[in-house]
Amino acid sequence: MMNSVSPSPSPAAPDAGEPAIRAVGLVKRFGSVIAVDGMTFDLVPGRIFGLLGPNGSGKTTLIRLLTGMTRATEGTAQVLGVRMPDRANLARIGYMTQGDGVYPSLTVAENAQFFAAAYGVRDAGQVEDALRLVDLADRAKTIAGTLSGGQRRRLSLACALVHRPPVLFLDEPTVGVDPLLRVQFWGHFRRLADAGTTIVVSSHVMDEADRCDELLFVRAGRVIARGSGAALRDESGTDNLEAAFLRFAGETEAVA
Amino acid sequence: MSARRLRAIVRRVIVEIRRDRPSLALLFIAPIIVTGLLTFILRDTSSPDVRIAIASAGSGPAAGLMTRQLSSALTGAGMTVTEAATPDDARSAVRDGTATVAIVLPANLAGGKDAQIALVTKGLDPAGDGAQIQAVSSAILGSLASSLGAVLPTVTHETVYGTPSSDPMAPFAPAIVAFFLYFFVYLLTGVSFLRERTGGTLERLMATPVTRGEIVTGYTLGFGFFAMLQVAVLLCWALGAVHVPAIGPLPAFSLGLGIAVAGSPLLAFVVVLLLALGAVSLGIFLSTFARTELQVIQFIPVVLVPQFLLSGVLFSVDNLPSVLQPLVHVMPLAYAVDALREIFIRGADLSVGAVQIDVAMLAVIAVLFAAVASRTIRRDVV
Repeated sequence: MMNSVSPSPSPAAPDAGEPAIRAVGLVKRFGSVIAVDGMTFDLVPGRIFGLLGPNGSGKTTLIRLLTGMTRATEGTAQVLGVRMPDRANLARIGYMTQGDGVYPSLTVAENAQFFAAAYGVRDAGQVEDALRLVDLADRAKTIAGTLSGGQRRRLSLACALVHRPPVLFLDEPTVGVDPLLRVQFWGHFRRLADAGTTIVVSSHVMDEADRCDELLFVRAGRVIARGSGAALRDESGTDNLEAAFLRFAGETEAVA
Repeated sequence: MSARRLRAIVRRVIVEIRRDRPSLALLFIAPIIVTGLLTFILRDTSSPDVRIAIASAGSGPAAGLMTRQLSSALTGAGMTVTEAATPDDARSAVRDGTATVAIVLPANLAGGKDAQIALVTKGLDPAGDGAQIQAVSSAILGSLASSLGAVLPTVTHETVYGTPSSDPMAPFAPAIVAFFLYFFVYLLTGVSFLRERTGGTLERLMATPVTRGEIVTGYTLGFGFFAMLQVAVLLCWALGAVHVPAIGPLPAFSLGLGIAVAGSPLLAFVVVLLLALGAVSLGIFLSTFARTELQVIQFIPVVLVPQFLLSGVLFSVDNLPSVLQPLVHVMPLAYAVDALREIFIRGADLSVGAVQIDVAMLAVIAVLFAAVASRTIRRDVV
């Protein structure tokens, strides 16, 4: 199935000790709605971070703030030491959006080539590597619009990492993906992280959470808890993350 | 047929349209704008500003008297009249634009039907010329009826450029080519950029180091390529006349409209291409305000139909109600139509001032629209 192509070392991996991603007092308001309500955290390089929370808790807005797709109302977002939004820095960031965001009338290879060019990649081998990584190399000439949902999701992932970014944001990457493929996806993420890539994955599926090195529970625009799956379970005194999330959510409710 | 199900469908349709505010608004606004504009143009078209250069082919005191008599009658009708020394002087006054109509009186004005009064116009604007000729000839005949009695001379129409009514399609062909190009390029870009916005690919693209300028320029060049092909094919069709001989039962026919072009087809091509580049930006710009492809189409009566009415395609720009005149100056189609008529009928090239202004304005509008369009591509808005 999936070929284990190990990605080459990230071009500009930050020094150890320096956080790959830093949020300081991050706030985003849309009119009277507060999507992100004061988030402060550092994420160290080479690990997989899971943003966990219900729909509408602010995960996508947080990712958009960190990638510079939207401007913070207050506070700052930094990726690899550069304050976002920063256009040039986008060459070192991969972003897989919630929607597939591929061109349906282009072939699989054409889509990957287009985004490679947009990221300034000159080496054609990187396009092949990315397609091999998501097991679409033999579908290179297929028109993207005729792919199955899962295949389109894989193409979308290939387009997000075709430039081998040291930081990768994945917004609900496994939605609509069958269980087998989900296992493969997580296999990729692990290999990328082992090679030094910092990965932020948002999800509202708790059973995926244990595959992350560290979890950030997000609720109503705030990080309500942080730690490894095991640590969060211990701290909340429950044996599953769903219950742990509810426990932490209940505590913040009581405080508020 | 179940009344209950039927009611559910009717209600759903009404709710859907009611929530689509832009469509709902355009449903009423578009026809009001278009019919209002059309009524305004047809009803309030200002009487043409007629400037006459009059000369007589004859000489002597009788001819001079007749010229002066006519002059005062025309002045009395509110027209500006200058007497020219010779018929040629009168014609060149029309050519250089100091006069809009030249009246050339024959030597034998009292000669009844055989006597021909020639009215000379420039010939670039059929609708405008028509209005001028109508105003002048009725004033002339009214004045002559009192002095010459029942036997009135014939009034003929000549043009400085081209020949009047030899090919009624000639003045319209360039305008219609320009309009259709503008229309289709707008539609094509508007819809495909909307897909880029709604399909999530624009958001993706904005997550790369690509700049807005690169996106707009890339679209302009990409669609410009197809616009170029379209213009080339349309111009070949309009100008060409390939005779196909009779084959068996098929009669001989000719392929192409066979419209005569006095100037350079290449210059015409450049003018239309500039127009098309502006249309690409217009499509990108308006796609910001559309949520669906239907809405892109609904912008047509609001954005394109007024251009069609105000750019001299059918109605003379000069005779439009004065309130609408300033609008003409911001419409790219008006500059393209004017330039194309200069090129097609008058044979103008880039040394002619009017063409220079038209080309410059088309370029300015294209650049301006590209700048505005790129402002609509914001990382925030996507």
